[in-house]
Amino acid sequence: MNHIDCKYFLATDVFKGICKRTKDKIIADEPACSDFEKTPKCKHCKNFSMKENSLGLCMNKATAYPDMQAITCNDFTWK
Amino acid sequence: MNLKKTILECDAYNYYGSKPEGEIQTREIRKSPSPRVEKARQLYFETKSSASVEFPYWYTRRWEELEGEIPIVRRAEALKAGFQHLTPAIFPGELLVMGKSHYLRGSYPMPWLSEAFFMAHEDELYKNALEAGKVSADEVTTMGQGGGNVTKSIGNILSIAGKFGLRKEEMPILLDVAKRWHNKSVDDIGHKYEQLVPGYHEKEEIMRAVICMFDSGYTLPQGREVMNYYYPLQYGIEGIKNICDEKLKESAGYPGMDRIYFYKSVFTMLEGLQSWINNHAEEAKLMASLEEDEDNESEYLETAERLEWLAVNPPRTFHDALQLVWIFHVAVLNEDAISGLSPGRLGQVLYPFWKKDMDNGILTRERSLELLECMRMKFTELDCFASMGVVGGVLSGNTFNNLCIGGLTKDGESATNELEMLILESAMTCDTPQPTLSLLYDEKLPEEFLLKGIECTKIGTGYPAWVNNRVAMEFLLNNFKNEGMTFEEVRAWSIGGCLETSAGSWMPLILDGVTHYIPGGSAPATSVGVHFISLPKVLEAVLFNGLDKRTGRRVYPAHDYKLESYEEIWKAFQEYFSLTVKVLTLTNNIQHDVWGKISPSIINSMLKPDCLEVGKDISNKGSRYNRTFNVEICGGVNLVNSLASLKKNVFEDKNFSLETLKQALEENFGYISATETGTYSITEQTKTADFQSWIKIYKQCLDAPKYGNDNNYVDSIFREWQEWFSGMCENYRSLYDEPLYSCQISVSTHGPMGAVTLATPDGRLGGTTFADGSVSAYPGTDKNGPYALFSSATCYNHASSQNSQLNMKIHPSVIQGREGARKFLEMIRAYLRKGGFHMQFNIVDSRMLKDAQQNPDKYRGLMVRVAGFTQYWVELGKQIQDEVIARTEYAEI
Repeated sequence: MNHIDCKYFLATDVFKGICKRTKDKIIADEPACSDFEKTPKCKHCKNFSMKENSLGLCMNKATAYPDMQAITCNDFTWK
Repeated sequence: MNLKKTILECDAYNYYGSKPEGEIQTREIRKSPSPRVEKARQLYFETKSSASVEFPYWYTRRWEELEGEIPIVRRAEALKAGFQHLTPAIFPGELLVMGKSHYLRGSYPMPWLSEAFFMAHEDELYKNALEAGKVSADEVTTMGQGGGNVTKSIGNILSIAGKFGLRKEEMPILLDVAKRWHNKSVDDIGHKYEQLVPGYHEKEEIMRAVICMFDSGYTLPQGREVMNYYYPLQYGIEGIKNICDEKLKESAGYPGMDRIYFYKSVFTMLEGLQSWINNHAEEAKLMASLEEDEDNESEYLETAERLEWLAVNPPRTFHDALQLVWIFHVAVLNEDAISGLSPGRLGQVLYPFWKKDMDNGILTRERSLELLECMRMKFTELDCFASMGVVGGVLSGNTFNNLCIGGLTKDGESATNELEMLILESAMTCDTPQPTLSLLYDEKLPEEFLLKGIECTKIGTGYPAWVNNRVAMEFLLNNFKNEGMTFEEVRAWSIGGCLETSAGSWMPLILDGVTHYIPGGSAPATSVGVHFISLPKVLEAVLFNGLDKRTGRRVYPAHDYKLESYEEIWKAFQEYFSLTVKVLTLTNNIQHDVWGKISPSIINSMLKPDCLEVGKDISNKGSRYNRTFNVEICGGVNLVNSLASLKKNVFEDKNFSLETLKQALEENFGYISATETGTYSITEQTKTADFQSWIKIYKQCLDAPKYGNDNNYVDSIFREWQEWFSGMCENYRSLYDEPLYSCQISVSTHGPMGAVTLATPDGRLGGTTFADGSVSAYPGTDKNGPYALFSSATCYNHASSQNSQLNMKIHPSVIQGREGARKFLEMIRAYLRKGGFHMQFNIVDSRMLKDAQQNPDKYRGLMVRVAGFTQYWVELGKQIQDEVIARTEYAEI
């Protein structure tokens, strides 16, 4: 997994960010370190099912996308 | 073609006085922010403009769930869902937190306004927009290639509009969401109905020719206005919800039922804001839990506590008040695509909180300064997601949040205070583009304050702009007299956006039992209506019987005048210009009506008096003042210089015939078009092999009388144009059934609009940028010194227009030291006392700008004043860079 998938990744822009733990500047698409913890995203949610064209369904009704942040979603449930 | 590349026999820039020699002169004084803010600034410099889909996704999802609901309630619910789901982010060292999205320079598309421009160019939606002339300005705009702009797609990042980066994994959902708004957005519905306007065909041709820059109804429907922070500061969020609750009970079931939907919407929106704030409080706690440094941990916890308090209550302290002001500022920016949302006279709004904390010994000047520096960083981080034509061609990547200082109190005394002195100081220590400052000059202001303003202007930030308080009040009293504007109330005015004089009101803030009358905006967006008409391009159509010579398309019906006299040209110009204003007024009225029905403002309406009192949003005239639609123009000085050249060369001295001149214009006086060479100032153009054929007529055009030299021949033409323009605007009525009025700023439109325009009879070459502002001289043509320029600029009454704009470039050596500062202030006074409305300065050695163009990496922090705003040099498009370099540099004043 990459930094962008980590709970401790604080994005400053689309390319990069800061590690919330170490305060190091990190590149979003580079491999994460050993302290990696998954951040809630739709793709990790029980309510999400992948469909076609890189899109999926949330709770079998609304279109959703796998990489959307779900930290603020009340319905998020870890797979 | 056999090309002979030569440079015009002059410097790369123009100057008045002794030509600067020796080393490039840098700033006289350089100050630094606190270490915390310097760190934030460096982080900003490393950060790219970034777009996300989170907010539009949740907005659209909720909107679709509520089909059939009352539109304003449906919109409130959609906005609430957007705010509730924004991922919170708190960056290390921030004393003020929250932003438009989770990125530091974040923004997002708003497909409910317009969904076509960010589609791939091969997409059918984009092609349709191109056909309707809606994206013509995008095609001719140059974007800045440096700084935070993501100009090209790379790796997992896609570039949108030449500025915003979007992660590839978000593109499928963006396309999905955008297509859901097809035929439902303000743009699409507006387009459907504006075609009912007689003459609609001409409107499309006008847009294709880039005679008009853009439609305001779906591009930037709000902005160029002043925020009003009174209600949150006085009542807090829960307090406003309680007001809504009470009003709902009073209104439900009684005639005028729209009120209940408005109050319900405000209530719903505020719930969304509360979730958004509380999510950030939780994030601050998470950040605290990860901290090893005790001071940092306690700072995060203080932030969390502050946010939890403000999610419910009114502010307790200056720090609270500043944070709450920022929250509502961002909240408004997140409800619409907005440029020019000005905090207004913030130093006067927040002064009661600041003074109380200082008196109680819980705040120091040093801490105040640091908080103000943090505020500057937050404003600088703002981006507005818009098309390339809008974000590059108009905004130059800026968002025009104008903070005003000075002016008068409700009772007519000097309104400045100690906090405004600190605001000026923070603008020097933390010299970032936002918020820009405008000093509302009045003879009653103390000398110490004015000299502080001079100190700031001198260091080369481009701000404060100097604005004439009395001229503004005269304009506003006249403009809003039918809506009850009083002498007392007019003093609450402020600048909205770059330079748009905006109505304000005094609001009774009660703090510890004492009433403080604080100023705040009380009118909706200005600079909506007819947005930027290119005057030289209209003249081009006059000379070529209604054709756009760039595309060969017919824009206007043929006038078929023989153009045998100057008066006939002027008449044809008036007719084409009037036709343009008429059709654009009608089509824009429809767009704004559709905007009010589909995408009304809820948060901004709530803030603006008297919407909350009367239960109407701003699109239903809930604001106290509503005469806010205007006609904006660009290239006025090139028009006037061209008319003078036509009059003198063709009709009086008969140096050449009109036909010969037209041929010379088409041949670009023997030069290659700037759009081919990629250089946009007149000083660096490349000749064709045939240039000798046109050299005589070219010189005669250049030698014709030029505006800016106290020359009555051309100034009388300028005056005639100005008086006719301001008068004719009143013939057209806005959506709110109020007459339009004239507005004169160029922002950045003089770049792309110049790029599509043939050479002009004043000797300006084809494709080069027009003169900036509205009363700035064309670069290199003001040869008689500043006071001659001032006489020309004030040859008409500036109070007859919403604004007029004068840019000057001064070499730093001219105003050095205390003596230089005094001399500078006296020069400004002289102009304002003559009735000038506005002036602003680049205090810079032009050679530095030239060096910066060649070595941008050395100049990441260099800022210049464009036309009503300051921007980082590296984020400006070349059209504007070349024009700023070419502006006359005053080496003597």
